[in-house]
Amino acid sequence: MIEILAQSPDLYKPIQAGLGCIGAAIGVGLVGMKGAEAVGRNPDASTQILVQSIIGMALAEAVAFYALFL
Amino acid sequence: MNASEGVHQSAEKIGEILGFPITNSMVTSWVVSLVLILIIRLTVGKAKLIPGKGQLVIESVIDSIRSIIEPIVGKRVFFASFWLLSGLFFFILINNLSGLLPGVGTIGTGYYDDDGHFHLNHYFIRPGNADLNMTLALALVANAVWAYIVLRHEKLGHIAHHVFGPKATKKDVGPFFIPLAILFLAVGLIEVVSIMFRPVSLTFRLFGNVFGGESLLHSMFELGNILGLHETVTKVMACFVPVPFYFMEVLIGFVQALVFMLLVAVYIGLFTNHEEGKDH
Repeated sequence: MIEILAQSPDLYKPIQAGLGCIGAAIGVGLVGMKGAEAVGRNPDASTQILVQSIIGMALAEAVAFYALFL
Repeated sequence: MNASEGVHQSAEKIGEILGFPITNSMVTSWVVSLVLILIIRLTVGKAKLIPGKGQLVIESVIDSIRSIIEPIVGKRVFFASFWLLSGLFFFILINNLSGLLPGVGTIGTGYYDDDGHFHLNHYFIRPGNADLNMTLALALVANAVWAYIVLRHEKLGHIAHHVFGPKATKKDVGPFFIPLAILFLAVGLIEVVSIMFRPVSLTFRLFGNVFGGESLLHSMFELGNILGLHETVTKVMACFVPVPFYFMEVLIGFVQALVFMLLVAVYIGLFTNHEEGKDH
C-alpha cells in the first residue's frame, strides 16, 4: 500500500499534512491544559504563564506548517 | 462577484522592473513600510530632550517593549539588539493587520465563465507576509544579526562552552566526568544542527499562519458556494460568517509578531544573558 501512496503527490501530501496537524493540535492542547492548570495553582503568575504558553504554542504549531508546506 | 477557487500559494507577479519580477505582496509591504516610516517621522519629528506629545507616546511604547525584552536578552546587549527586535515586531504586526483591511484579496482582475459569473483570479493586494520570500528574508536577516550580536559581544571560548562544554564539575559527579563530557559534546553537535534549522522554522511559522489565514478568509466568503447553496444565500452569508474569523486573524497576526520577536530575543539571550534568576 505504501508503494501505491508514494506514486503521486496527490496521494501522499494530504496524509502527510493530516498527520502533521494531528501532532500539532495535540501539542498545542497539552500546552493549554498545563497553562490553565498552572494559573489555577498560582493566579498571580498569570501574565508570565501567558507569555510562556504563547511561545510554547507557537513552537508546537510550527511543526504543522512544516508538514503542510515542506 | 465571486472570488476565485482558493488562494494561490505563491504571490502573483504584477509587473517588472528591468526584468526583475514584482509581486503583489512586495508592493503591499512597500506601502506598509512607507506608512510606518511616515507615521514615526511625523509623530516624533526631531527627538528633543524634553519630549513633545508624539515623542511621549512613542517613548512609552518603547518602554513597554523594554520591560518584555530586557529580562530575556540581558542588560549588556539590550541596546545592540533593541532596534532589530522592535523593528521586527512592528513591521510584522502592521503587515499582518494591514492584510485585514477592505480591499485586500478583493480588488483585481478576472474572467467571466460560461454562466456569466465573474471569477476573480488575479489579485492586486495580498498580505505582505503571505509570501514565502518575505518571511524568508525576515528570518535570514534576523539570523544574520543574531550571529553578529553574539560574536561581537561574547568571547569565542564562552560560546564554545555554552554549546559543547560540560555543565557539571568534577566535584559533583566524580568518576562519571569523562563520559558526561563526551555526552555533552554529542549534545552540542545536535545543538548545532538545531541552530542551523532556525531560519527554516521562523520562515514557515510566519508564512503558514498568515497564508493560512488569508486562505481561510477567502474560503469563508465562499462558504455558500462551497456548500452548494443558492447564489443569494451565499451573498447573505458572506456578510456575517467571516466576522469571527476576522477576529481570529487579528489575534493570530499579533501573536505571530510577538512570537517572532520573542524567539529571536531568546536565541540572543541564550548566549548573552548572564544574570541568573530571570524574573519578568
